[in-house]
Amino acid sequence: MATGHATDHATVAREVGARFEAAAGLNAALHWSQANLDVEAARLARGDGAGPLGGMPVAVKDNIVTTDAPTTCASRILEGYVSPYDATAVVRLRAAGAMIAGKANLDEFAMGSSTENSAYGRVLHPLDPARVPGGSSGGSAALVAAGVVPAALGSETGGSVRQPASFCGIVGLKPSYGRVSRYGLVAFGSSLDCISVFGRTVDDAARVLAAMSGVDALDSTTVDRPPLTVPAPRGDLRGVRIGLPREYFPADLDPGVRAGLDRTIAAATQLGAEFVEVSLPHSPYAVPTYYIINPAEAAANLARYDGVRYGQRRIGPDGDVRALYQATRGEGFGPEVRRRILVGTYVLSGGYYDAYYDKAQRVRALIVEDFRRAFGSVDLLLTPTTPTTAFRAGEKTEDPVSMYLADVFVAPASLAGLPAMSIPVGRSEGLPVGAQVIAPMMEDERMLAAAAALETIVDAAGEVR
Amino acid sequence: MSIGRDEVLHVARLAELAVADAELDRLVGQLNSIVDYVAQLDRVPLDAEVTPFQPGPAAVRLREDEVRPAPMVRGPEAVAPEFVDGFFVVPKRGGGLVEG
Repeated sequence: MATGHATDHATVAREVGARFEAAAGLNAALHWSQANLDVEAARLARGDGAGPLGGMPVAVKDNIVTTDAPTTCASRILEGYVSPYDATAVVRLRAAGAMIAGKANLDEFAMGSSTENSAYGRVLHPLDPARVPGGSSGGSAALVAAGVVPAALGSETGGSVRQPASFCGIVGLKPSYGRVSRYGLVAFGSSLDCISVFGRTVDDAARVLAAMSGVDALDSTTVDRPPLTVPAPRGDLRGVRIGLPREYFPADLDPGVRAGLDRTIAAATQLGAEFVEVSLPHSPYAVPTYYIINPAEAAANLARYDGVRYGQRRIGPDGDVRALYQATRGEGFGPEVRRRILVGTYVLSGGYYDAYYDKAQRVRALIVEDFRRAFGSVDLLLTPTTPTTAFRAGEKTEDPVSMYLADVFVAPASLAGLPAMSIPVGRSEGLPVGAQVIAPMMEDERMLAAAAALETIVDAAGEVR
Repeated sequence: MSIGRDEVLHVARLAELAVADAELDRLVGQLNSIVDYVAQLDRVPLDAEVTPFQPGPAAVRLREDEVRPAPMVRGPEAVAPEFVDGFFVVPKRGGGLVEG
């Protein structure tokens, strides 16, 4: 199988096309074509392939805009929409020598934790078709886990790359908020959204992240720092103090997940790391905080889908412009998107703003302060990425709150804007277990270096007990 | 706090979102379960010193106040549902069926 480092880009393009065909049953890709792959190969052969990514095929979540394929956000309301511009991340990846391979399925507008909310059908877990790959970037995760591409872009608002990476047994990397331009990432929760990366290895994910990172005049929230560098490999973790937050190791944690973390702690200790218990006392409030802030921002951001400037249009029975808005949005959005818009509008509406939104932003400040205090005594944090391994399709679809709780360990770092990543650390009853590494703000390289060291000695494909 | 059918319909109108009668009861139940869940934040002690989180860099960079062309490979006529003579076309306001 091609690794993405081959110089014969046309051959790689044909192999990637064949792998998309072979993996079609996963329903992980929404748009790809051999013709587009061949155009990419020709561009790389003309010179871009000499860049640091050397022709690496990279799939892109279908909420990141591209001019050569539709961007639907897995929603009926954007069916057939083709963007007039490319996302900054895509422009930079192409310039760095990536082959943009195709667009990946997702939960509609990235709202979900199982990729069951796509208007174009659910994505199947590559190891067990009865299970979910996680979400919302489940299509990107499945494409990497199935070996279609070595790396893929996802997006994180509250764990939408780390959680599916954990479920699928691959690396999932969320940078610090502001490291990667959001220009061209379809806006969902603007204070949380981060373009993020899946890879088969830490190095592949880190190289893709480095190529995209850096300040962008088109996104005023990007941080004015030089692009990330991929840390040089180090063979040990001597001198690294790692905190284990007690709130992330509850008594009812899945035994397989706990065994995976025990094995990771043992491996890191062998590499010379020192572990200490810490506390992040407000972390248990992260999910309820998130499910106020996120719907509020989503309701505001999704107001733009009105059937006027782009996207699908439905005409109301009386032809009035407001009937047009209501019919377009009522028919165009799926159930979870409608729920979030309604909750978000409710918490922002007159009389409720202070009780919900303002309070949530204050609790968020406490969550940020917890992390700041913990990082006063440790270099990194290590936690489970998810409370369980991949769950069965349909298991949580009728109960939104139980679905939201799948993100209990990933939401806190999103609220705080911190770099965080999931690495595979073994399997429990055949299903992957992920460990999460969280670093202080802008210390992405420290996190990557530690994850790369752990990757060298943790048997990610082996059973944990 | 309990959300009733009328409140869901009010919020749906604010959000310009058509909600069918057939789905209303289900939505009422789901919205109540979400709002009940997030209400656990009431248990967090918040004194006056805790100020709301401010996302993003401490100092947002401001661009020069000048018009710059957007790098578009296709114009609005290619993506808009209806675009005529440089205008987005919509039905006229007012028809009486939808109360705001």
